[in-house]
Amino acid sequence: MLSEKPEKKKARMDAGEVKEILGVVSTEIPGLIKSIIASVFSEEAGRSMGKAAAAFYKELKDSGMPENVAVKMTEDYIGVFTSLGDILKKAGPKGKVTVSGEKAEELEKEIERRVKEKLAERAREAEEEE
Amino acid sequence: MGEGRSLLIVSVVSGAANVVRLLSSLFVIYLTLGWKVRKAKKAFEKELIKQGMPKQDAKRMSAKYAALKDEALNTLKRSMRTFS
Repeated sequence: MLSEKPEKKKARMDAGEVKEILGVVSTEIPGLIKSIIASVFSEEAGRSMGKAAAAFYKELKDSGMPENVAVKMTEDYIGVFTSLGDILKKAGPKGKVTVSGEKAEELEKEIERRVKEKLAERAREAEEEE
Repeated sequence: MGEGRSLLIVSVVSGAANVVRLLSSLFVIYLTLGWKVRKAKKAFEKELIKQGMPKQDAKRMSAKYAALKDEALNTLKRSMRTFS
């Protein structure tokens, strides 16, 4: 009976703490997300990004660059800002290795070859034992 | 004992209310995101056209800017799937 009391007290304290944490989280997290979104997707952010790209384009045009080249270069310039996906992919979990393309195929073949070797080796051993 | 239990119930109920509030705020943010992206896209396009860029090219570039939203949402979904 005596040993139950501190446990109950602790459970009550834990519940109170969780309540407080949830209270803070439910007000702070949406605000944080809103401000992050506003820094990328707001009228002001769009305008300033557009101004930067437009100034770049104008400079290229003024210096005598052909129209299509100037557009292509501006597109690449914007691509630097908008390559968020690539940045986030690179900032993924540490230690995780992503293999793609030819290397992935090579790796797949190598794994397949080694598995076959192992299986053949075990089959040989089993035959020898018999 | 009764007091302790009622305190626990109050904590659980208010915790659940906070979770509901958090989820509803996130849902509102998600709903208004498309509208914000459209406004940002228009402002972006307008600035490019103002400096003499052909309308078609400006539209293509602003579409690239708007695609950033989908990219961000996909990354978020992927990371949520990885954590779960």
